[in-house]
Amino acid sequence: MPYDDPEPDDPHLLVGVSLPGDEATTREMAAAFADEFAQLGFDREGLLLVFANPFYAGAHAARELLGDDEIARIVDESLRVYGGQRLLVKDADQDDEMERPEALRGRRALRVL
Amino acid sequence: MPSVKNWQLGREMAYPYEARYPERQFAFVFNINRCIACQSCTMACKSTWTFSKGQEHMWWANVETKPYGGYPQFWDMKILEKLEEANPEGQSWSGGVSDEKSKPYGRFDGQTIFEAAERSLTPDSARVLGYLPTDEEWNSPNIYEDNPMGQKGVRNKLSETGEQLPVHNTWFFYLARICNHCSYPACLAACPRTALYKRPEDGIVLLDQEQCRGYRKCVEACPYKKTMYRGNTRTSEKCIACYPRVEGKDPESGGDPMETRCMAACIGQIRMQGLVKLAADGTWAEDRQNPLYYLVHVAKVALPLYPQLGTQPNGYYIPPRWVPRAYLRQMFGPGVDRALERYTDPDRELRAVLQLFRRSNKIIFRYEMKEGPKVYEGMLHGKPVTLYNDTVIAYGKTGKELFRTTVEEPVHVRPAIHANSI
Repeated sequence: MPYDDPEPDDPHLLVGVSLPGDEATTREMAAAFADEFAQLGFDREGLLLVFANPFYAGAHAARELLGDDEIARIVDESLRVYGGQRLLVKDADQDDEMERPEALRGRRALRVL
Repeated sequence: MPSVKNWQLGREMAYPYEARYPERQFAFVFNINRCIACQSCTMACKSTWTFSKGQEHMWWANVETKPYGGYPQFWDMKILEKLEEANPEGQSWSGGVSDEKSKPYGRFDGQTIFEAAERSLTPDSARVLGYLPTDEEWNSPNIYEDNPMGQKGVRNKLSETGEQLPVHNTWFFYLARICNHCSYPACLAACPRTALYKRPEDGIVLLDQEQCRGYRKCVEACPYKKTMYRGNTRTSEKCIACYPRVEGKDPESGGDPMETRCMAACIGQIRMQGLVKLAADGTWAEDRQNPLYYLVHVAKVALPLYPQLGTQPNGYYIPPRWVPRAYLRQMFGPGVDRALERYTDPDRELRAVLQLFRRSNKIIFRYEMKEGPKVYEGMLHGKPVTLYNDTVIAYGKTGKELFRTTVEEPVHVRPAIHANSI
């Protein structure tokens, strides 16, 4: 844990420094997370959980600032585009390695993401 | 000091050694837009390489919150400030971005950490501008981020009723970092015992523990602060790029080169690592179908971290789209606007290549795209979007197919118990 309080005269500490950022930036961050994870195959419930979990501080902060309704709107907007498909990943045929036990570990023939 | 070609700066620069380039170069792309700081990469590295006594403070892979955080604290602000002091008002770029592979981000007119050292440091043996972080700066890899806080103004006492994680009321993003295995490593340049070396086969920078005497010149020189001193062995240590995996010696690999532990553990699927071919002059050799080459040199959406420092880092980042551009330009150079313009409105091939991230733990050397039918047309965030069911096929080192991805309309398969339900 941090042991000391910030030193006000330390030029490297961002104490009282004004940074550009507002609700629009936070909305853009939330939209970025929603778009990215929708493309990874997350469903509505999974996407909302990303914003609900306080340990994902970025997404959670967006939910705190924008509210549940706005987050749901952002998630639904992403899912309207990316939620209609799901990605399939097909591992290449590895028949020539079937006899080798190390080649069998972790093998997946078809993965739905 | 010899002169070497730094394509990220668009010019020659001074470096203590003559240029020598590996056959291939370890490189990676991180897509920051996807990173939610789950720290899976951090823990994968920690539990593999730095779990021993004396390594408690070592996080070869870490994720820090920008602009507040840093490991060690203030690492980037401190070296940028030192360069600014050495060359006031001179750390600027000119010429603008271009499609030329030898200067894609224009020309850097300022001083690198090697050039600033040559002009301002004494004695002559001081080859790199840098600083040694204090013990306290190494203490808290995510200060004020993942540490529950006590009451404001009350020291050494946690909250008795619960914990509270900090809330940032402005923009921020997560920066995942490992050693950049630079083409011109500052750690290597600074070591008086030549304990650091770059492997000729893959460009991974390693530190020979038998040669090291713990002078910490590498710790002082590395601008990214990715070499760390270990008190109980009195030597320095650094990220080894999980080289047994990259060599294909992991039992799971079947002999194929595999990506590092931190890449494989990434649940946000932000990471892709590879081995890129180098030309004789150290630039990336034309390799159009290599996914890293495509992201860095064709789509130009992946940018080096602080290229102005001059080490030609081999870690590339797709910048976060919500962060103010001035900050991003300082961090990733002048290529930021072009990168974000393309990333937020990706073409068909870029969408396809982005689907290659984390689909396999084996290193992708080549990809192919087979165009499929249109599956969606509409609007997103006020911009038109068209999606296609394209198939992307990834190939490994020997040219053998690793996997292929495609898009399928959703199908719900009923469990056996409800097979006859309506």
